[in-house]
Amino acid sequence: MDLVQGNPTEVKVVLASVATALAIYQLVLISIVYRKIRPSFLQAEPAAFTHRASGDTIAFLLIVVAIMCLSYFELEDAFHAVTGLLLLVVLALKVVVIRWWHSASRFLPALGITVFLLLAATWASTAGAFLA
Amino acid sequence: MSRQLIGSLLVAAVIVAVTIVAVTAKLGPTSAAELESREERQEERLEQQEERREDQQERQEDRGEN
Repeated sequence: MDLVQGNPTEVKVVLASVATALAIYQLVLISIVYRKIRPSFLQAEPAAFTHRASGDTIAFLLIVVAIMCLSYFELEDAFHAVTGLLLLVVLALKVVVIRWWHSASRFLPALGITVFLLLAATWASTAGAFLA
Repeated sequence: MSRQLIGSLLVAAVIVAVTIVAVTAKLGPTSAAELESREERQEERLEQQEERREDQQERQEDRGEN
């Protein structure tokens, strides 16, 4: 069965764009969690819950996109392949730190920013170029 | 607190919806499904034209025989 109805590139672009848009929202949420910005309408606790839920969604989307990349497309663009691989590795490391490796939690902001930058670079190299 | 939670989750849902609509609108007619349906419509049109031509030919042949 062809889930994407013959549109693997289009579906991949939509999913990657949703993940990137949510990642920008993640930056806003984590700024509230770390109290870098303090809006009156959203406190740190609900922002942290939404940050986690949105992060789980992004991780799921990225895994689906990665599977699609490997299934439908060959490794044509080295930059995209490298940033995509690094993105999944750093994201996996971030999940490990959040769930089990608590002593390394001081690195979470750096890991989060790295995940965002890698996602932006990976998106720009394919989906961004496709939409331009 | 729960209102803030629901609100922040709703914002995430809106971001997802707006992104899907914006990207789909941008991709629009280039999608394989759209191209396929265009091809189908074109094929149907050609078939109808062909049928009409055959009908006309048959009618002309009938007139010629008479």
